[in-house]
Amino acid sequence: MSEVVKLQLIGLSVVGSGILILLFIRSQFLRVIGFVFIVLGLFSLVALAVPQMASLPPAEESIDIASIKTPADMASIGQKVFFSKGQCALCHSIGPSESARCPDLKGIGAKLSREFIFESLTQPQAYIYLDYRHEGIPKEYPARMPYINKDPIGLSKNEILSIIAFLQQMSGEPISVNPSELEMPGKAPAAPVKTAEAAPVAVAQAQ
Amino acid sequence: MMERPGMIQRLIRLIAESPAAVAAFVAALGALAAPVLGMAADTGYTSAVAYRDVPVVGSRNLVWVIAQLHLLLAGFVLGVPIFAWLCEVVAWKTGEKRYDKLAKEFTKLLSSAYSTTALFGGILLFILIGAYPKLMAYLSDIFFPSFMVYCALFLLETATLYMYWYGWDAMSEGGSKVFHLFLGFMLNFFAFFIMIIPNSWATFQASPVVIAEGSDLARAWAATWNPTWWPVNIHRLIANVVLGGYICGAYAGIRYLSARTPEEREHYDWMGYVGNFIGVFGLLPLPFAGYWLMREIYQYNQQMGITLMGGFLSWLFILQAMLIGVLFLGSNYYFWMGITHRIPGSEAQYKRPILTMLVILLLCLGVWMTPHSLVASLEEAQKMGGTHHPLLGVFGVMSAKMTVSNLMVLVTFMSFLMYWQAGKQATVGWARVAKAIMNALLVIAGLAVIALGVYGYFVPAIIRINYFSTSQVGIVLFVLVTFTLLTSAILKSAKTTTEMVWGRMPPRAGYALVLNAVMVILLMTLMGYARSSSRVHWHVYGVMRDSSQYAFSPALGYAAVLMAANTFFFCMIVAFIFWVATMGDKGKNAHGSKEKGADSHGALPAMAGGSQTLDKQI
Repeated sequence: MSEVVKLQLIGLSVVGSGILILLFIRSQFLRVIGFVFIVLGLFSLVALAVPQMASLPPAEESIDIASIKTPADMASIGQKVFFSKGQCALCHSIGPSESARCPDLKGIGAKLSREFIFESLTQPQAYIYLDYRHEGIPKEYPARMPYINKDPIGLSKNEILSIIAFLQQMSGEPISVNPSELEMPGKAPAAPVKTAEAAPVAVAQAQ
Repeated sequence: MMERPGMIQRLIRLIAESPAAVAAFVAALGALAAPVLGMAADTGYTSAVAYRDVPVVGSRNLVWVIAQLHLLLAGFVLGVPIFAWLCEVVAWKTGEKRYDKLAKEFTKLLSSAYSTTALFGGILLFILIGAYPKLMAYLSDIFFPSFMVYCALFLLETATLYMYWYGWDAMSEGGSKVFHLFLGFMLNFFAFFIMIIPNSWATFQASPVVIAEGSDLARAWAATWNPTWWPVNIHRLIANVVLGGYICGAYAGIRYLSARTPEEREHYDWMGYVGNFIGVFGLLPLPFAGYWLMREIYQYNQQMGITLMGGFLSWLFILQAMLIGVLFLGSNYYFWMGITHRIPGSEAQYKRPILTMLVILLLCLGVWMTPHSLVASLEEAQKMGGTHHPLLGVFGVMSAKMTVSNLMVLVTFMSFLMYWQAGKQATVGWARVAKAIMNALLVIAGLAVIALGVYGYFVPAIIRINYFSTSQVGIVLFVLVTFTLLTSAILKSAKTTTEMVWGRMPPRAGYALVLNAVMVILLMTLMGYARSSSRVHWHVYGVMRDSSQYAFSPALGYAAVLMAANTFFFCMIVAFIFWVATMGDKGKNAHGSKEKGADSHGALPAMAGGSQTLDKQI
């Protein structure tokens, strides 16, 4: 018996108890409790009827550098990161979509250089559009893109390079990222994913 | 011969009737916690243990239940003084003593309610320090100065409560009454700060900011003034008024159902009306405060906003819509029952508008509860042409939901006005013109809200969020404020055509009041879960990761069962507080009736806001 079914049975029994109290008990206070039982039981049953999704923390995946032989391998890893840890698909679509909140990334690998993509991911405010539609100094359009290499997403350099490979492959472009660029564990500085293990003060992302 | 109360009863009464016990408890708590906090404040200190688990229940579930109960109780003890003070002001302005009595009797609840809240706060603190030592050390390091302010505020609050409660009779007339009202205001003033300080700790966890170098005070202040602090403060303040009002209503509803005499029925019917009135008064601006909070969350971190409203919590907002919808329906239903049962001969006159309002509310609720994306199999999705239903998908987006929520607020406000004006006839000459203007404004406002909602489909999201949604809110707020002022002016000199007849409501009115209170409590538990889950696997979002076995947000069904349990526990605690608070009166009444040789009615308790007829018997 699954957990949901067990909880549904509990909910049903609570509703049933409430109905029995209302049918057979005369004390007004207990009848009110019976009524509250019915309301709470129904609430639980409705909540158990909607899709049950737990939010699991992202798996601590590490890229096995040794297994990456070709740029296509990197693109394959990049695709996984794009839809999971990177959370890119929360805002971006690949192809036109009415629900996408940010630019469609279809063909982006052909339009932008790898350096530009890397900068867009790691320093989203570095290249921004200016609004000249008014007098005086042009107003900046702040980028809504988060710093992908910082918390809470915190992708490593290897993961970012893999995403670039994926974006290029998806656009039909030759992949310009090479497995030799990947940082070997122990040789390169640690990935920028760093939780405040014992930090005396928070250094969180700015508003 | 009267029975002597048992030791436990005497102990409970001592705690219930003496704010000194509350102060002593808080002081003891502070003294016990001080070494821990001091140790945590030492910058060199780091805990060797990150987590400790509690067997069987699990530390996370235990913290969840205790924190939720503490928060609900805190909402109750912050809502009741606002409720009591508003009633006292009404009594002072109108000269109606029953409001003053209602205020006094609800203030009596505060001492026992404060001690229970402090008790749960203490338990929560100890469990948190034990189960999450590393997180608590981290938060203590940042917020230590605010802990001190928090303790000082408790002392001020307790002293004010002493004077406010014990000085009620001594300061009942003239200038003393004004001073007493000032004390009531100060009670709420301190309570507000007692609320916003812990809010800063919780909101910092959700929306931390860069903490500048500087003194401890500067760092604490920087962390306190985080992007979601004020939206949460305002949202909670209004929500507490709603909670206080609806709990008063539920209490009145239960007493109404068990009333034995016509006087009791009249009295508790009136009390239910006051509770529902204040609850709705707070409920109307609450969606706007919620909207502001969500907007700030999106501005702070779009990803967090998406997690809340477009990610795994999106179905939670369908549940929220259901609860709010039931609350709106319940509140309106109580108003409508009040009109048709308390005002003789009004059934025919109000039947049509009530039916129209019911249809509008149900339609709006239907739209609000429409999910954005449907859960469908691959085959179903192919038939639909995507996860969005070709027709229903149109109603699943924010533009539609903002529109219907504004319309529901407008309709509820109309019920409120209809009830307010029922049985009264304006005598001022300009009333007719004012009513015509109000009717025209209402139609224009409704159409404008719908037009902006429809236009919202054709503009980029940022324009809809920044301009259209805020305009909709502005329009509805404008209607709320102007109509309240105009109606108040019109009714100032109105003559009463039909007197309200109290105590004629059917029993379902009592259940409607209980239902409303349960809905509010469930909503608070639901949104507490949402706020906590929006941090996903972070203790402090993006800064301190949850690396415990509980670093996940459970599915909605599991969470809902816990929420339902918490709601039930809270209801039982509140019932206990009411019972304890009236225990002394029961004794007094029994004793008084013996002495006066009164009949058995004299033994009935003078409950919170006790009926005047019963008072006369004492």
